[in-house]
Amino acid sequence: MDTGACTIGGLLSRLGINPLEVVVSVNGRIAPEDTLLGSDDLIRIIRIAHGG
Amino acid sequence: MEQKKDGEDRLPRCSLCSRPSVIRLRDPDRHLCADHFCEDLAGRVKKTVYLSAMIAEGDRIAVAFSGGKDSTALLLVLNDLLPSWRDVTLVAITVDEGIAGYRDETVQCAENIAKEWGIEHHVVSFSSLFRRDLDRILEGREELACSICGILRRKALSSAAEGAGATKIATGHNLDDEAQSVLMNALRGDLARFVRDSSSPFGQCFIPRIKPLREISEKEIAVYLMVRGYFPELPECPYTRYALRAGVRAHLSALEFRHPGTMQNLIAGKQRLATTLAPVLSGSPITTCRECGEPCSGTTCQACDLLKKILP
Repeated sequence: MDTGACTIGGLLSRLGINPLEVVVSVNGRIAPEDTLLGSDDLIRIIRIAHGG
Repeated sequence: MEQKKDGEDRLPRCSLCSRPSVIRLRDPDRHLCADHFCEDLAGRVKKTVYLSAMIAEGDRIAVAFSGGKDSTALLLVLNDLLPSWRDVTLVAITVDEGIAGYRDETVQCAENIAKEWGIEHHVVSFSSLFRRDLDRILEGREELACSICGILRRKALSSAAEGAGATKIATGHNLDDEAQSVLMNALRGDLARFVRDSSSPFGQCFIPRIKPLREISEKEIAVYLMVRGYFPELPECPYTRYALRAGVRAHLSALEFRHPGTMQNLIAGKQRLATTLAPVLSGSPITTCRECGEPCSGTTCQACDLLKKILP
């Protein structure tokens, strides 16, 4: 997926993911939703809402 | 100009220093780096504890410690804040309900963390207290999993806390949990629970319950644990799919995203309503369960009633 010139929040919106339910790391660093992404970034979306 | 490694230059900066931000918070709007965020979160928990007088000198606090993210954050924050109070001690209590493919891993995780931090730790199991594990108790009643588990878990926790000599029980309920409970009680039409909850002075427990994380969001807790290296990536409880909470959580979270402040408004509204309704819904006086001696509103407590029905 091309993530250039897009923020984490924009990417999550395109994927239909609520940002309050995930934490995103960019190249191994936890990053806020207004972080601008680069086309070569390694993005990890971690789901945080678990039952129990 | 040379670009910083791994696109670090594209990360927003902390509002208090020049380091990369890990989270953006509102009221007031601010970016915080890992260190300033941990400091900010601990400061807000401390304020909640102080303003509600949750902890007093000499308290022995039983922390309900499942090994999941909320209770891990609670134990970590309270352990860090311990020097703020005189003569206060912590004891971690893990309830092993006996849920195949789920609880063994979280209990192990809890044991490892308590050992690493040098915190006294007790594990109490449903099978030792109630003669059966939760999986067996729920056979044919899976859709009631969360309510049955909740009642028995509260009893197990109270019993273990009492055995450990605790003066308070601290649970890891966060802002999201509190808002979800308000909405769930409304959806069930359970007005009595609008007024009484487990941490109110009328809560059905001899040992007062406190919720130090009640103003911290679930996302903040996750980020806090990740930056401190303690985020537990554990399996999800297999009974979650039966819970009303699962649906409420998703809807409320979506509303909070679109309309920030929804959760806090819901809780504040509930508190105002509870103040007005309390005299009307005072209900039955608190008595003592004739089976186990726990406080209750009838002749026997919910847990003893339930055990009689399911374990004849």
